[in-house]
Amino acid sequence: MTDQDFMHHLGDVSVSIELETEDMTLNIGPQHPSTHGVLRLVAKVDGEIITDVEPVLGYMHRGYEKISEVRTYPQVTALVNRIDWVSGYANEIPFIVAAEKLMGVEAPERAQYIRVILTEMARLASHLAFMGSFPLELGATTPLMYAFRDRERILDLIESVTGGRFHPNFNRIGGVKSNAGAGKTQKKASQDLPAGFFTETLAAMDVVDASCDEMETLVGGNEIFLIRSKGVGVLPADIAVSYGVSGPILRASGVEFDLRKTEDYLPYDQFDFDIPTGENGDSYDRWYVRLQEIRQSARIIRQAIEGIPSGPLRAKVPLIIKVPKGEAYVRAENPKGEMGYYLVSEGGQGPYRLKIRSSSFSNLSILPWILEGVLLPDLLAVMGSLDFVLGDVDR
Amino acid sequence: MIAELMANFWVVLGLKLGIIGLLVPVSGLFIGYAELKISAHMQARVGPYFAGGRYGWAQLIADGIKFFQKEDLIPDEADRPVFKWAPALVLLSSVSLFLVIPFSDTLVVRDLDIGIFFVLAISSVGTIGVMMAGWASANKYSLIGALRAAGQLIAYELPMVLSVIGVVILAETMSLNGIVEAQANFHLIGEVGTPFVLLQPLAFGIFMISAIAEMSRAPFDMPLAESEIVTGYLTEYSGFRFLFFFLGEFANMFTFSAIAATLFLGGYDPMFFNAPSITGPVWLLMKIALVVFVLIWVRWTWPRFREDQLQRLAWKWLVPLALLNIVITATAKVVF
Amino acid sequence: MEAFGAEFAQAVGASGHTVEHGTLKVRVSNQQWVAAATVGRDDFDLVYLSYVSAIDWANDVAVGDAPEEPVEERFELLAAIGDVTEGRLVHLSTDLPKDGASIATLTDVYPGANWHEREAAEMFNIAFEGHPNLTKIYLPDGFEGFPLQKSFGLLAREVKPWPGDVDVEGLPGDHE
Repeated sequence: MTDQDFMHHLGDVSVSIELETEDMTLNIGPQHPSTHGVLRLVAKVDGEIITDVEPVLGYMHRGYEKISEVRTYPQVTALVNRIDWVSGYANEIPFIVAAEKLMGVEAPERAQYIRVILTEMARLASHLAFMGSFPLELGATTPLMYAFRDRERILDLIESVTGGRFHPNFNRIGGVKSNAGAGKTQKKASQDLPAGFFTETLAAMDVVDASCDEMETLVGGNEIFLIRSKGVGVLPADIAVSYGVSGPILRASGVEFDLRKTEDYLPYDQFDFDIPTGENGDSYDRWYVRLQEIRQSARIIRQAIEGIPSGPLRAKVPLIIKVPKGEAYVRAENPKGEMGYYLVSEGGQGPYRLKIRSSSFSNLSILPWILEGVLLPDLLAVMGSLDFVLGDVDR
Repeated sequence: MIAELMANFWVVLGLKLGIIGLLVPVSGLFIGYAELKISAHMQARVGPYFAGGRYGWAQLIADGIKFFQKEDLIPDEADRPVFKWAPALVLLSSVSLFLVIPFSDTLVVRDLDIGIFFVLAISSVGTIGVMMAGWASANKYSLIGALRAAGQLIAYELPMVLSVIGVVILAETMSLNGIVEAQANFHLIGEVGTPFVLLQPLAFGIFMISAIAEMSRAPFDMPLAESEIVTGYLTEYSGFRFLFFFLGEFANMFTFSAIAATLFLGGYDPMFFNAPSITGPVWLLMKIALVVFVLIWVRWTWPRFREDQLQRLAWKWLVPLALLNIVITATAKVVF
Repeated sequence: MEAFGAEFAQAVGASGHTVEHGTLKVRVSNQQWVAAATVGRDDFDLVYLSYVSAIDWANDVAVGDAPEEPVEERFELLAAIGDVTEGRLVHLSTDLPKDGASIATLTDVYPGANWHEREAAEMFNIAFEGHPNLTKIYLPDGFEGFPLQKSFGLLAREVKPWPGDVDVEGLPGDHE
């Protein structure tokens, strides 16, 4: 080929260079500062955009359902606190109510009101923990301190009644634990709530309300927080429902559904409260719905304290509890979503089969759907806004 | 005899460098302690309490000693020479800035004619150190952090440079001493000097934002986003290498605040009244303290920007505004 | 709830339904499983999937107490679907044989069934046909055995057998 030909052909050659980049597989977790526990995410990342995410669960699987087959009902009550440990008390309620339904026992009214108060406090504890940890994931460290300071007050109140901050173990079949402190050496007096509990709780509710207002302006009015969370991780209502998402996440997507209004496991129909919903289903809405729910919970607690009747704390049940044969499913509005127990009893001292429907498991299942095409920093904004706890996911 | 010694160039240089060598860690300690205490009180906490008695002033000294005696861990796959030199480069760029800060009209290591130009140039050297750190760590998280840092630092260089040009136009010199003198002599109202922040508020804002981004502090701490990529390019550094980075950050705070104070707040000159030149450092330190307080305040108030929002802020907002500022300043200078 | 239960059972052609302690359970056959869920989702607005799980009915149990009266040995597969307006919940129930249990997947009807079925598969050894990704979800990859089957023993119980009728332990001084 002569030089002339060569130069002639050179003009025909079109060079297209495309930078060949491979997707990087990023392993987030299990030890990571901000997955809420030992969660492992295997993410395929293209630059900063996530193309695929696969959650790997089971690092905290404790085999609750198997274990409850070899435990008695009071023992299971103690275990069940530890499923969603951020809101300890709320885990016990559906289980105890299921057992009570099968036994045909109904807890006295005073016990039910106390259950409502403690459940709503558990909700406050869980949502305040969220209020602190969600801005932390976005980089703001200060709301953490404020939220946990208020959460400590709630935990102190729960501790004054039940003796435990995170794991109250306060429910008994037939009511709540009544013989606090009484034993063989003491007079078997039925001990009620500690002195000053109601006044302290009302004071704490005022503090919580003030804290909510502060959070709303400090965090909700913070420009960077808004641009990091608005429009991030939008979850449409129909997708959410088909995946089994429940709780504040579902309400943030616009579905006005609260099990407290539709189920009868606790006397919520005696109280007046609203169901906050969001419009867009983005991370900001999930944050805002939980903020509103804190206010509503404070409202319920105030009404419960005002209207609490006097009476026994526990219905008469035999010392060794054997629940008659039957099956029941009771579900409750836990702070994280719907928590339910399908209790199959074959007349023994413990359940024959206990299926635990935990809310974070279903809430987490939308992660592959919601994280497609999302930027890497937004991964944490979205995950943080889902507010799940690994104990709830893995059981 | 002392006068003779003082006239000797090398003695004076040695003395000045010795003082700077002492000033870097001491300023780091002070600013670090201020950060711990101020942030604690903003968060309803107390901060360091036990180390050294009631006020915990020995906390950072204890931390420094702790870092020194830690094991020097270098990951197997790491690029050893690059890994070792990265913190040195970052510290180099921070410390070099001390060379031009005027503590008074005579107390300056070297009053360069190209003062501010030198500052801006040397502070970019730190970017190379950051990228070296991320690359040499042989860790995906560090790599992501280094890339983010590189993008961020480069993006915010430009607004910083442009914002300073307005000051240079007004002062007609790039030397830092000259800029302070220009502020002292610029009699806007009466016989008192005018800090340039009053004449260049926009430039001051842009400079502060860019400085926070250059220091990789919140809200611009994406490269070190703790909750996401575990301190990014710093992940694999432990022991005294981490101490170098740490010290570099606080030294950076000091120097950038000093530069901001010199350029915009009047430096070592008290501005509104006269004082003997020997008290120069006092005024400068007070202004530095003010700027450092604002930096700490900003850090603990806002969450961090996302990378693309950060870039958008720099390119779409700060650069055009800085250019606008230059145009206005130049026009005003010619007209008035 | 009884009226709704009857209506629903008729619509899906169920073999029976019960309302016990506030829980509505509708029994369908294996072939009707997916069709029943589809009818529930489309005609009755039961768009919300609560969970999918199973019960192992066995007369010989390695852990816990055996049933009082003999039961028919089978896996009972449960799917709880509900609506998000009034809070109605229907438990679809079908029986599967213990060996070679296999049924069509619900993931086409409810995407959320994906994870629930993975859990049921690894815990009970139930095969879900048509499932996009039937890998282990909780258990580590090399795990042998199916934990929630009644024949799966717990090592701790073999080492220390179940103590029997003990509910409340006495105080430390009581045993003298």
